[in-house]
Amino acid sequence: MAGESSRISTGVAGLDEILSGGLLPRRTYAVRGGPGTGKTILGLHFLVAGAAQGEYALCITFSEPERQLRKNAESLGLDLHGLTFLDLTPTSDVFARMQTYDIFTPAEVERQPITQKILDKVSSLKPARIFLDAMTQFRYLATDEFQVRKQALSLLRYLTEQGATVLFASEGTAMLPDDDLQFLSDGIVNLEFSLKFGRSVHVTKFRGSDFRGGCHAIRISAKGLEVFPRLVPGEAQTPFVVETIASGVPELDEVLHGGLERGTITIISGPSGVGKTTLGLQFMKEAARRGEHSVAYSFEEEVEIMLTRCEAINIPARAMRAKGMLDIVKVEPLTYSPDEFARMVRRQVETQKISIVMIDSTAGYRLALRGQDMVAHLHALCKYLQNRGVTVLLIVELESLVTFELTEAGIGYLADNLLFLRYLEYKTRERVELRKTIGVLKKRASDFEKDLRLLEITPAGIKVGKSIPGLTSILVQLPTWSPPEEGRR
Amino acid sequence: MAMPARILLVEHNPYNLELLSTLLEKEGYLTLGVTTLEAFDQALANAPIIHLALVDIDGFDRGIWLRCEALHARGIPLLVIAPGTSLAGRGESYRYGARGVLIKPLVTREVVTAIASLLEGSA
Repeated sequence: MAGESSRISTGVAGLDEILSGGLLPRRTYAVRGGPGTGKTILGLHFLVAGAAQGEYALCITFSEPERQLRKNAESLGLDLHGLTFLDLTPTSDVFARMQTYDIFTPAEVERQPITQKILDKVSSLKPARIFLDAMTQFRYLATDEFQVRKQALSLLRYLTEQGATVLFASEGTAMLPDDDLQFLSDGIVNLEFSLKFGRSVHVTKFRGSDFRGGCHAIRISAKGLEVFPRLVPGEAQTPFVVETIASGVPELDEVLHGGLERGTITIISGPSGVGKTTLGLQFMKEAARRGEHSVAYSFEEEVEIMLTRCEAINIPARAMRAKGMLDIVKVEPLTYSPDEFARMVRRQVETQKISIVMIDSTAGYRLALRGQDMVAHLHALCKYLQNRGVTVLLIVELESLVTFELTEAGIGYLADNLLFLRYLEYKTRERVELRKTIGVLKKRASDFEKDLRLLEITPAGIKVGKSIPGLTSILVQLPTWSPPEEGRR
Repeated sequence: MAMPARILLVEHNPYNLELLSTLLEKEGYLTLGVTTLEAFDQALANAPIIHLALVDIDGFDRGIWLRCEALHARGIPLLVIAPGTSLAGRGESYRYGARGVLIKPLVTREVVTAIASLLEGSA
């Protein structure tokens, strides 16, 4: 049996992390939530974790029969082999019986035998962990609210005095609130499911311990229940050398006064097709040459298309990938919650020593990831990466070709560096054509060139020109450029 | 050692009868349960001493009152169990000799206390 000061695992690693290492032993915890939110699954994880350590684990079920629980657990990859069940669900003969009683209340008739069965099982098994599904059933075994509270409190006290850590499911509704049970418990884990934001968990009470507040994403799959704690950037401080990392394109590095600084966040913004992703991949190409690893999370473009495109412009993405210097991850729409995506990025960054992360694009991130408050999630992710010395490239696609914007609303503040790519109308006497340009608007760690330069994406790679002579304005709707001498570009 | 008191239980619903019997036997009484008026008559005719009768009027016709009257005539203390909705039943219970009326659903502790005090009073 674990000591009072030690923690015991809930069986769900992410939840243990939220609970500052796990539950405190010999206490009672409420798992609240509506139907289908995963209360029973969490309870079974808790018991399985105990059984795996050789502890006696008891499941007292009032609602789902043991056979059904075992079958459902199997499909979730949970091995209930070492668990003991006390099945208090009504059997089918209760319905088949022609007459029922009306002389006493159910509380008068049912409470005593149920209580006795629980006492017998607990005193004979001496379980270290108990999951009670669901505690709210006790409401029907008491004649009034006072009795409910008294009996629930007395039962929980008995169970903990027997040495058990107790998790109980609670099904509070607007009609039958469970506030009384919340007051009785030492901790409250709330599970939620919404069509818009998916599954989540938040802890609202944990006597004697700190816990991580806020909502954290949940996934229920063939692997059971997984919790993805929201990133806390400050927790991942890793010392790193602040140095400039070059793009490998001399003129661009000239504009940037050497390149981007390690551990900074750079927004590369511009309209569709102007070369934002290509520019990001150019930094990754140069990183690979230095022996550094990069990863690009693509929310729109398929991996194969991106690889083919890279090969056509002298970025050897396939070879970089083969050598493990570059990973391109296609993020399918609505597959992840923001917390889950952050967990994936975190795992990859920490295990593969990634030095550059590109998110392509922020609009895709917003659309693809279920959940709310995209800016807050992106902020946490970027700051976490920054604290680890990872250089972050955020690709921001701007819808308009002809109005001047720098980034989509609300995320500009994240950027240490702001590179903008724009189209420019190039006018000669004979014709007008579109050219691509690149400029820098912000660079926190150093000075930079303030002019706009021509950008060309050629089979030989990215080419950045010199300053554009004769350009009369930059921050206008669509810059135009008539060269001083006709025919000279 | 004194013989435990014998209680006649008149209850139309066998499940209710089973619950009442279990409760009272656990309290140390002997019980004799019947579910029909015919069985009630037979019990009155053949049973040894009955110290108290507990009659649930729910489910019986007016013939139940004749039997209650007979119990009263024989000096057997009578407790009537009536549905909470039947005000008339409560009034008639006293008219036909009931010493008390218990309203459903019952509270076990109250049943046990009522029976004990009634038996004590008639001893």
